[in-house]
Amino acid sequence: MILKVENLVKKYGSLEAVKGISFEIDRGEVFSIVGPNGAGKTTTIKCITGLRNPTSGNIVLNGAYSYLPEEKRLYKSYTIEKMLEISGYVSKYFDKKRAYEFIKRFKLPLDEKVANLSHGMMTQLYLAIVFSEDVDLYILDEPTWGLDPVIRNEVLEIIREMAMNGKSFLITTHILPEVEKITDKVAIMKDGSFVEMDYLDELKEKYVAVVVEVNKRVEGGYLYKTTSQEKVYIVEKERAKGDYQPVDFETIFQALVKGEKK
Amino acid sequence: MLVLWFPIDYNSHVPVYKQIKEKIKEMIVKGHLKEGQFVPSIRVLAKDIGVNVNTVARAYRELATEGVIKPIKGEGYVVASLNTDEFFKEKLQTLREILSNLKEQGISKKEVETILKEVFGGDICDP
Repeated sequence: MILKVENLVKKYGSLEAVKGISFEIDRGEVFSIVGPNGAGKTTTIKCITGLRNPTSGNIVLNGAYSYLPEEKRLYKSYTIEKMLEISGYVSKYFDKKRAYEFIKRFKLPLDEKVANLSHGMMTQLYLAIVFSEDVDLYILDEPTWGLDPVIRNEVLEIIREMAMNGKSFLITTHILPEVEKITDKVAIMKDGSFVEMDYLDELKEKYVAVVVEVNKRVEGGYLYKTTSQEKVYIVEKERAKGDYQPVDFETIFQALVKGEKK
Repeated sequence: MLVLWFPIDYNSHVPVYKQIKEKIKEMIVKGHLKEGQFVPSIRVLAKDIGVNVNTVARAYRELATEGVIKPIKGEGYVVASLNTDEFFKEKLQTLREILSNLKEQGISKKEVETILKEVFGGDICDP
C-alpha cells in the first residue's frame, strides 16, 4: 500500500468540501477520482500533499510523491532548459537525463521561454518535470489539460508504462475516455463524497439501465433521463426487475453524478 | 506473421477484461494460437493493445480458471484447451438474438437464406 486515506474531512468555514472519504492505492495501481467541478477532487489532493490541513481524518503515505497541480504555473522568464536545471537543484528525486528525454519526446523547444508556451506545452513541460522525479506516487490534477489528442494519448501511454514498472498514480480528471484507458480503480465524487468506488470493469457489470413509464420510478435507481413518455434509470443489476440493458461507463457516471437516488 | 494486436472498445458496455478473453478465444478457435503455444506475456499484451497490466492479468486469470490457458511456472501461459462447444453455443446465441431482432424489423427468411448461401456456399438445404 502506497497511500491510505481514511475518513478525510475538509471544511472551509461552514462549507464541507470533503465529507469523509476513504481509499487506498497499491503499488503499480492507477486510481482516478472523477467528478464535476466543485466536487472536492482538488481539495482532496491538496490535503494529501499537505497544501491544506484536513479538518479530520487520516492520511498515510508510504514513500515519496511528485505533484502536478491543477494550475500549471512555472517561472515565466525562464527557458525550458533553465527550468529543467533548477528542477535538478530543488528536488533530490529529479532525474535530469530523463527530463531531457521527455522534452525530446514531447518535441518542446529547449530555448523557448516559459512565457511563450501554449497551455498544452506548459502542461507537457510540467509533466516532463513531474515524470522525471523518481518517486513512488504521482499525484496528477487534470494531467491532460490543454493537450491535443495525440499528445494526450502519449501521456496516457507514459502513465501506463510507469504503472507497469510499479509506480502508482492518483489522478483527477473530468475527461472520461482517458480514465477508461488507464485506470484500475475509479471513484466517482460528488458534493464531497464518493458515490461509487470500484474497478472500472466491475462498475460496467454492476449497473444496468431500466426503462419505465414516466409516472413510475425505480426503487434505489439513479434517474438518468426523462423522455416524453419514459424514465431511464441506472440501477444495480440485482435490483433491476424485468428487462434491462447494459450500459457504458459514461452513462453510469452521468447518472450517478446528476441523478437523485430514489 | 502472427497478428496478435486487436482494438479495445472503450465506449462499449463490455468490460475490457471480457473483450480480451473473447479475442484470445477467437484466436484459438481460428487457429492463430495453437495448443501448447505461449500466449503473449501479460506485460507485452498490455503494452501492445494499450490497456492496464491488471486488466490483462484478470483476463488471463479467468481464462486459466476456465482451463483455456494454463500457467507455466515462471514462463507465462500456454494455450491448453478451449471448450469449443461452449464457445460456439455463446456465439450461436448471439446470432439467434440478432436474427430475432432482424425478424422483428421485417427482414424475411429468404433474405437471411441468401446471406447464408453467400457465406457457407452451396444450397442451404443440402446436408
